[in-house]
Amino acid sequence: MNLRPALRWPASYPLALVIALLAFVPVGVLVGLASDSAELFDAHNLKVLSNTLLLMVFTVLGSVAIGVPLALITAYVQLRWRRLWLIVLAAPLAIPSYIGAFTLYAAFGRGGEIQQLLGWPMPAVNGLPGATLVMTLYSYPFVMLTTRASLLSLDASLVNAARTLGMTIAASLWRVVLPRVATGIAAGALLVALYTLSDFGTPAIMRLDTFTRVIFVEYNAFGLSQAAMLSLQLLVIVGLVLFLESRVRGSKERPGRHLTLWPSRAQKWLMFLVFTPVIVMSIVLPLAVFGIWLLREGAGGFDVAYAWNSAHASFLAALVAVVLAIPVAHAAIAGRAGRFMERLTYFGFGVPGIVMGTALVYVGLQLPFLYQTLALLVLAYVLRFLPLAVGSVRSTAEGLDPSLVKAARLLGASPREAFQRITLPLTIRGMVAGAALVFLEAMRELPATLMLGPTGFETLATYLWRVYEAGYFGRAAIPGLLLVLMSALGLALMLSGERRAEFDVTGK
Amino acid sequence: MQRRAFLHNLAAVGAISCLPMSIPRSLAAEAGAVSVDQLPKLEGEITLYLGRGEGGLYENVLEAIRKRNPGLKLQIRRGATAALANSIVAEAKAGVRRADVFWAVDSGAIGLVSDAGLARPLPADLTGQLKPGFQYPQWAPVTGRVRTLPYNTDRLTPEQIPDSIMALADSELAIGWAPAYASFQSFVTAMRLLEGEKATEDWLRGISRHATSYAGELGVVMAVERGEVDLGFANHYYTLRLKNGKPDAKVGLAFTNNDAGCLVNASGILALSDGDLPINFIRYLLTREVQSYLASEAYEIPLVEGVKPPQGLPALNTISPPRVDLTQLADLRPTLNLMRRVGVL
Amino acid sequence: MLKVSNLSVDYGSTRVVKNLNLALGDDEVLMLVGPTGCGKTTILQALAGLIPISEGEIQLGPWRSTPQKSVPPEKRNVGMVFQDFALFPHLTVQQNVCFRLKDTALADHWLKLLGLENFRHVRPASLSGGQKQRVALARTLAHEPAFVLLDEPLSNLDAALKDSLRWEIREALKAAGIPAIWVTHDQEEALSIGDRVGILNGGELEQLDTPERCFSEPASRFVARFLGEASFLPGQLQQSQVETELGMAPGIPIDGARGAVDLLMRPDDLSLLPAEEGNGVVDWVRYEGCSRLYAVTVGSGSQVRVRTSHEVHADPGDRVQLAIITTHPLAAFARA
Repeated sequence: MNLRPALRWPASYPLALVIALLAFVPVGVLVGLASDSAELFDAHNLKVLSNTLLLMVFTVLGSVAIGVPLALITAYVQLRWRRLWLIVLAAPLAIPSYIGAFTLYAAFGRGGEIQQLLGWPMPAVNGLPGATLVMTLYSYPFVMLTTRASLLSLDASLVNAARTLGMTIAASLWRVVLPRVATGIAAGALLVALYTLSDFGTPAIMRLDTFTRVIFVEYNAFGLSQAAMLSLQLLVIVGLVLFLESRVRGSKERPGRHLTLWPSRAQKWLMFLVFTPVIVMSIVLPLAVFGIWLLREGAGGFDVAYAWNSAHASFLAALVAVVLAIPVAHAAIAGRAGRFMERLTYFGFGVPGIVMGTALVYVGLQLPFLYQTLALLVLAYVLRFLPLAVGSVRSTAEGLDPSLVKAARLLGASPREAFQRITLPLTIRGMVAGAALVFLEAMRELPATLMLGPTGFETLATYLWRVYEAGYFGRAAIPGLLLVLMSALGLALMLSGERRAEFDVTGK
Repeated sequence: MQRRAFLHNLAAVGAISCLPMSIPRSLAAEAGAVSVDQLPKLEGEITLYLGRGEGGLYENVLEAIRKRNPGLKLQIRRGATAALANSIVAEAKAGVRRADVFWAVDSGAIGLVSDAGLARPLPADLTGQLKPGFQYPQWAPVTGRVRTLPYNTDRLTPEQIPDSIMALADSELAIGWAPAYASFQSFVTAMRLLEGEKATEDWLRGISRHATSYAGELGVVMAVERGEVDLGFANHYYTLRLKNGKPDAKVGLAFTNNDAGCLVNASGILALSDGDLPINFIRYLLTREVQSYLASEAYEIPLVEGVKPPQGLPALNTISPPRVDLTQLADLRPTLNLMRRVGVL
Repeated sequence: MLKVSNLSVDYGSTRVVKNLNLALGDDEVLMLVGPTGCGKTTILQALAGLIPISEGEIQLGPWRSTPQKSVPPEKRNVGMVFQDFALFPHLTVQQNVCFRLKDTALADHWLKLLGLENFRHVRPASLSGGQKQRVALARTLAHEPAFVLLDEPLSNLDAALKDSLRWEIREALKAAGIPAIWVTHDQEEALSIGDRVGILNGGELEQLDTPERCFSEPASRFVARFLGEASFLPGQLQQSQVETELGMAPGIPIDGARGAVDLLMRPDDLSLLPAEEGNGVVDWVRYEGCSRLYAVTVGSGSQVRVRTSHEVHADPGDRVQLAIITTHPLAAFARA
């Protein structure tokens, strides 16, 4: 677009700016809270910082190593019950990572459950390797889902061309397909990095001293301003990660019919061998461990209302998040300023939950009639998880053939009508995927729910935490199972929406 | 093995106490403590902010109070103690009142809130029920926990353990501790108040030369039992609960005398809003029934006159804990700085 | 009537379209042709209002668009047929064609005329390329635009289809009585379909005239070469006759050429016969089915192309005799 005397802003900018600023408000509150603190970096923090960075880097590597092959398989390979596999493989997103950390810690090691039940001595799971394992298992679905979405829009003809030139399928996937989904992988990796940076529970259980641990110690010692100041320092790392991710530039391609692969029997077994340990470790193991304790101790005190609370708060959050994501995503495509606004929304996702919760309490108190109501809780979820929705909507909108909107305008449709009748229906797939991601994350969210929900509002995640803290581990089995089942249901709905919206958006 | 058994027992203890109505009344029918029968019925709406509780037993107490007072609408907001304290302060700053009572797991949180001027003064007859040394005008300690030195009975005899906490810095014993744990930090704060900055700094340096860190004090006690270390610093109830589940555990309890090493800290409750309802609610927690329940099931120390302490713990006056204003333990900032300076945290 | 005056369009800092002037007749089909990158698509987008213009003005009926005051596309009442069809994939053919129509009578008329009746309730994904383009055309015409822009509409179709569809589109436009600007890179298409042809080079319009005049009286060597095989033979222009080594031929001076000129010859302006003492030597020969195309080097060193019927046979290296057989005047350019 050329610059002319009258500067024309894309229509999405004003709304996107408002939303981006809204998402940034809690961070602004942190700055206010941190103002009394002179706590800056000192040498001791360097070791903690290196632990944090190492954990983040290793988790990202691990998630990519697991997520990308799984994305390839679920996108391209013709398997029976392919949709079911996808749901099961994405389900770890529903489980709070500290639950996974705790059950792995309890299952392995000397005196752990596995040794008790089966008599096999198992190595202990703790420290940096343990924390990496746990974080990887519970965040690889981010990479898997974003990469899969990119893979589905890649034209297969390049791979076919490579194969006629003599490349094996493996080589062509490695050299011809993967480089072209670099942005998809990077988008997922970004989410993994931010999630890892802000997680506290897993490093605490695995006895790894990370930045969040320092923040938590300060917070518990009533050093709120110190905790806020340290969180802001953490945000510097977040900014760095955001910068690195924006450097990954893919090539703009016309979407086309994607590749389909038919595996041989042996290859099917190989894939099964890849799926199984991942699913077992991330879902089956925690549920089994809780199940064992459930059998030993019996359940009690669980109310199905908790499941309903989780579901409807998360569902509302998903809906609102997608609606707000639309202007931000379109702004991000429209120009540099829009991309910057989109980046602003990511900061909320990188702040440790408990600090974010407190910031949001201050925000919520500005509107006393909203404080401690469901509406404020939904808003808190949205502010925190908006980037999940924005990423999905944006990548689908980017793939839309621009001549479709031009054609609509020329037939006499105003920009608004063209957006409603053409852009929206054709980007439904991205919106549904974004909503599903927000739904899953909101289901497992803890600190904001505790601090901002209506008093007495109990969700599956808060109940799970309650019984975990109290040591009634057996009682965690039912809410844990429900978390997984309800999230699987949400994912299944998303996938059926995807199938119905499977239009070739090139118009070819 | 031990960890598993301990957790099992902890949960088993919780499972037994699932039935709220079975709060035993048979224990300790002595004068001084008030009985629930003497209290007026609670009516109306009350919102309680509850910091993480000991093994869910606080829930049982609350459930029993609900059952006993059908006219009471009790709303409970649960969360991390520090987070709730921050919320209360933030709410007050914004002029929004939500919490009527705040029951915190440690006195530091209480201190934060009362320092902000948000606590209502409690009537003298209520605070009078508490043991001397635990009577504060603006909050009521509910149950206590005493700092102890769990030791491995195979490796040490009680005579080998000094009864002054400061002396431990020069001893050669292998020690286990959990510096990030809030109770430990409160203990170091008490030491700072009683002995001064310099002495505390030297003590920390001395101990860290022969100490191993653990994530929490549960881990410390388990390490002592396994024989990984000779001695540890922990709250008393971990050891008692361990021994309850495993009577032949090789761990014994030792105490120092009249210094920070035998500090008695307490969970506390304060009233934030006006009216009789919050005050009467607090009275329930100081009744003989609730106090003896918590003593026998959670191994916490009752702080009301005339209730028997948990089994396995000597009477408080034989230990002579130091006199410290518990609300001053909220001042953790200098303690953290000190611990960081020494390199312990 | 569409009137474009001094239109210039910049892309970044480069001027892609320079000072374009044209006026479109009431039901004329105007072909815009030129090599890739000459700016033809940019002109269409500017006329449609999809990109802003830097200088000049576009005027049609009640509206006038200038760099300061741009009229948005939906107000211009212009129709566009795209190279990649741009059919809405989530709507059926019927819904596509009736996109903004309240009354479907016109849509029905066009669907019938273009043979799409059986495809009304089908989604575009299951149509062939030719069918898709017909739907796109029906959609455009059903909305009764004031003029139609066609952006290389046949580029994505196979050769066999191109020819028949080309004429179908022209018939439809004439039947609707709507003027059109049709952009193509195929010079055969430009010469056969258009009422007038505009040749673009580097953003500038080199010539805008009827196909015959552009072909036989090209305004520049570029136009000459672009519209067909062109050979240049040096000669002397004297009073409408050009004397060349192959003989005399009537000549029209281009741009005031005098004296020493290069004569433009098309392959069918010459005859070729194998001859031992001929005035040229064959460089190469191409068999074209019913004709043969020869490249022959003549005495002066220039190479000319000659097309003969397939019955005349000569091999590379043979001596041949060339003669000018044309009776109409040939364009004579000033010698470079």
